[in-house]
Amino acid sequence: MIRGLWDRETVALLLLAALMPVASAWLWFGGTEALLRLLLTLTVSGIWHFVFMIVRAQPPSFAGAITALGVAMFAPQDLGLVAMLLGISFGTVMGELVFGGWGRNVLNPATVTLAFLGFGYPGVSWPDFLLPIAWAAIPTAALGVIFGVMPVRVILGAVVILMPAWALGLQSQPALVGAGLVLVVLVSDPVASASTRLGGWLNGLTYGALVVLFAIHWTDAAAVQLAVSAALLAGLAAPLLDEIAITLWIARRTGRHG
Amino acid sequence: MATRTYLQTLTDPLIRQNPVTLQILGLCSALAVTTSLAVALTMSAALTAVLVLSAGPISLIRRHIPDSIRLIVQIIIVASMVIVIDQILQAYFFELSQSLSVFVSLITTNCLVLGRTEGFARHNPPFRALVDAFGNGLGYSLILILMGSLREVFGAGKLLGFQVLPTVDQGGWFTPLNLMLLAPAAFFMLGLIVWAIRSILPEQVEPLDHAPPNAERLVD
Repeated sequence: MIRGLWDRETVALLLLAALMPVASAWLWFGGTEALLRLLLTLTVSGIWHFVFMIVRAQPPSFAGAITALGVAMFAPQDLGLVAMLLGISFGTVMGELVFGGWGRNVLNPATVTLAFLGFGYPGVSWPDFLLPIAWAAIPTAALGVIFGVMPVRVILGAVVILMPAWALGLQSQPALVGAGLVLVVLVSDPVASASTRLGGWLNGLTYGALVVLFAIHWTDAAAVQLAVSAALLAGLAAPLLDEIAITLWIARRTGRHG
Repeated sequence: MATRTYLQTLTDPLIRQNPVTLQILGLCSALAVTTSLAVALTMSAALTAVLVLSAGPISLIRRHIPDSIRLIVQIIIVASMVIVIDQILQAYFFELSQSLSVFVSLITTNCLVLGRTEGFARHNPPFRALVDAFGNGLGYSLILILMGSLREVFGAGKLLGFQVLPTVDQGGWFTPLNLMLLAPAAFFMLGLIVWAIRSILPEQVEPLDHAPPNAERLVD
């Protein structure tokens, strides 16, 4: 993907810029503790990008900062330092860098990290988010879509399910807040989400439906935990949804042209 | 084949031709029974015993096995050995055999055993077949013991049942990583081991299935 100005780092920087409203709202309300967590995740992610640059000549990416932000925002709070180091190392290396760097990964590395921490340390407490941070998700999504770095169909597909479900009382407001934040930071990722038009819609719908399903049936899970689990499963389904969209397209073309 | 010494036949399967990490054989048991070192050790011993015990007879009658039913004959011999080993485990190590559950019986269908009898014992004299079987058993055991130790240490802070790392519950500092005791962790760990071995021995790296597109071509 090299089209004039549009190389990989342009996308990463624009994505980072789009995430600024959420990030600054989160830092504003989280204070020093949030800042320290962000510094820790930034450092570890940066170290791994550096190691892979030295050992495998993979150019480092600003996308590492996006991963670090996602992990710092959503990771369980009472984890020890060792667990955090292990989690973000696993997510960054196994979720992104072994595939050859950002742009070639299958899942969002921050989602991989959070799933690792969630499965590895059951019983930890997940963060809650204040309403103002959730409002910041709206300008983030708008900026991402205007810049052309966030998949608009994924976001709309998820909103189409999440908002009515909340209005009907199927999920609580904290669940909606968590799902919305996870949607803009983790799910609407230009690399790991579905890339066809129909696939994008299906990807968003899958995420929204999974969140609602978990909110109804997984009663002892925290809001962020169920949103992260839904993001992981929706991310795993994304290639299949693309495949379905492409198969349908080929079938339509064959029907039309013989 | 004739140029290989007995020592090479024995030591090649340890790392260079390792059945698990190079040939990717015998995975189901490598993933399922490595949650603790004791179980991994028992499984390694059982598999090595079956492998050696069945390689001998198959190699002895290799000129008499009709080609059309050779797999049936091999499976009968392997299955008989498995039953013997299973009975011994149930008689003398009952609790271990309970935790191994069905996996000892499943040695019968372990692709590693059939791979060695079909691929080696059927074409080689008995002593060489025995040496090869023993070497492959050791290679399999090496990987199982490594994975079993790592999973037990990081998943429970224990090794062979002894507390190595003091866990938080007992007033120590180590938080057990529950993921290690689940099957996906075995996949990750096996992948990391294969990665490490192939980084050290690059001749094990397989050729790419697809060549990546040339970046320069995309620009035009």
